[in-house]
Amino acid sequence: MAARGLTMRRAAMRRGDETGRGTIGGYDERCAADLATVGEGRALSREDRAWLARVVTGAVRPNRDKPLWDLAHALAALALLTGARDGRDLVTLVLDPGLARPGAIEARFGASAAGAAAADARGLVLGGARGWRGGWGGLARLLALGEFLLAAEDLAHFAALADWLDELARAPDADAAAVLAKRLARRLAAYRGAHMPLAAHERRFRAILAHLAGRTAFDDDDVLAVWQAEMRAGERPGFRTVAEHFVTFEAAAAVLRDLGGLNAAAPLDAAADWDGRLDADRLDAALADLAADDPPAPLADLLAGFPEGPKILTGAERDDLADLLRLDPFHRTRPLTALRAASFGRVQSGIANRLRRGGGGAGVAERAACAEAESYAALAARARDLAGHLGRMLRIAAALRLAGGAADLPAAARAALAAAEADLRRVRRAGFDDRARLEAGFAAAQDALLRLSAEADRLDRALAALDRQRPLDAAFAADRAAFAAVLTAAYAADAAASPAVVS
Amino acid sequence: MSDPGRDEPDRDDPASRDPARLLAELHAARGLMRDAAGRAPGDAAGGVQLGEEPARPGLAALWAHATRAPGAPVDLAVVRALRGDPAAQRRYRALLAGQAVAHAPFAVAASDGGLAARRVGAYVLELVPAEDGSPPLLVIRGGSGRAIAAIEASLGDAAVRLALPAPVEGAYLLALDPALPEADRLGRLLADPAAAVFLL
Repeated sequence: MAARGLTMRRAAMRRGDETGRGTIGGYDERCAADLATVGEGRALSREDRAWLARVVTGAVRPNRDKPLWDLAHALAALALLTGARDGRDLVTLVLDPGLARPGAIEARFGASAAGAAAADARGLVLGGARGWRGGWGGLARLLALGEFLLAAEDLAHFAALADWLDELARAPDADAAAVLAKRLARRLAAYRGAHMPLAAHERRFRAILAHLAGRTAFDDDDVLAVWQAEMRAGERPGFRTVAEHFVTFEAAAAVLRDLGGLNAAAPLDAAADWDGRLDADRLDAALADLAADDPPAPLADLLAGFPEGPKILTGAERDDLADLLRLDPFHRTRPLTALRAASFGRVQSGIANRLRRGGGGAGVAERAACAEAESYAALAARARDLAGHLGRMLRIAAALRLAGGAADLPAAARAALAAAEADLRRVRRAGFDDRARLEAGFAAAQDALLRLSAEADRLDRALAALDRQRPLDAAFAADRAAFAAVLTAAYAADAAASPAVVS
Repeated sequence: MSDPGRDEPDRDDPASRDPARLLAELHAARGLMRDAAGRAPGDAAGGVQLGEEPARPGLAALWAHATRAPGAPVDLAVVRALRGDPAAQRRYRALLAGQAVAHAPFAVAASDGGLAARRVGAYVLELVPAEDGSPPLLVIRGGSGRAIAAIEASLGDAAVRLALPAPVEGAYLLALDPALPEADRLGRLLADPAAAVFLL
């Protein structure tokens, strides 16, 4: 039973969604691959990648088409400055690796002028009735966006885009730039339509906003209430999926509240004057932070990319940690939601998997009763074991690093190192018998180990605090009744009419 | 929308002000960032790369190859990739097609006895066989008024590109001298209906 649960959990994690279906955040594999190609090819910084991801998903305000407007005008200006003869020359400019950095672009074009276009210390200018200006830093990003549009969907629209650039090169002025901007906006909108199923996510955020009725603060029970309401309304979101939406909402709410956006009685409603109430630049900076603000190495990725070598973490330990830490930062701020997702989220994904396969393992009704749900006390004990194990591994890492040079250390530190060495000799894990491999393995894993250990400790402390405030056994019993009621009501009919739709 | 105007992007798009929409877009952007961080380098090109395989050429390198002057030095890494990697071939052809004056992925007209003719966009290509010691001749007529400077024919991993001389009375003439390996290969590729032809 445990082995089967683990296998299923691993499979679901590989797919990135607890229900194992679709994508976690409203985009498909093609979209992720298209973005990764540009990001890797141009070695974009994390900030520029986040900017590009925002432009592609449309998370740019006041207007999501503004970057395309800027790209079209930049290309018109560059066409004038370089004397581009045709679309080919413009494609060459967009793809030129020598123009991937702001400094390189400035070095090439700085202080030049041709026709209505000019370049100065700040950036490019395209004259005309309304005039346009773009800074050097933004230009490198815009060219990355240009490459994304040219290369998207395995170059399926390359010829059409090359034709549009041809038209721009024939008369590179503000009018032609405006035409190109609209064409690019339509192209990107079509791309979103094909590769970004945002509607379901939008519906869920609407449900969250409706439930909170203008509040931005929420607690564990709000997450549960929204999930329950969605399930009763006939939707089938995973509990963890709803919690993930709350993670994004929390991050966004803090920034938007600062900007006076969500705090109003009618949050960002149709009558709100974007230009008047929100400074566009500040808003853009806030949105940029939101997309890029995740820790540079998200916890789940630290685990996925944990170096092979000595078995510092077994597969099962990694899976357990991933399960508990996936809703970062809720494992430390809302540990009850993390427990609910780990315990009942797993029950729900088991039901969803069974319905999808049409059989296998325990029946739907039996699963929905949550008899097999892992208790919060058991999860908390496992979290404590993991924190203890990671701490031990961290001390071993320190011992390996300091081996031989410990003589100068204070007595207490020397004693700790000796204890770590003793620990090391007791560990019976693959790769721990070869000192050279061990040192290399721990050196490679050191940064990940440090962060994971810190987060596991925070989870352990959060769970201990939760237990004092809301004893885990009582909380689990109450939650089991609540989850069983919702799951039974929702999935009994689905099982009869399978296959069910799970989003 | 069908008549693109001069105005800046419309600031009154109601969807722009919908917080649920913005949250969904942000959620997707954050998901993409997380996804990218978890992706192994090399995944991006869409294929599994084995350790010993050379890196897949980037778009810029493929584009430089697609726009090179006939006879110009080539990037051997790109040439190698185009020989062995069908995905790189596909991308390269998409780039070629995107900048070609005319192109045809295969011959529409079947060969007819000694005279093979094929249509490529607004152009007709004829292969006049060798006669009395003179080499076979490629004749390209028609066209849209845009000058063409080169021809590239390819089939699978075989490809050849030759410069075209200036047209004479509207027709481009190229001798496919069997003594010149490139010209000979072009002639054989053009005779194969499965070969793709790009006029550049």
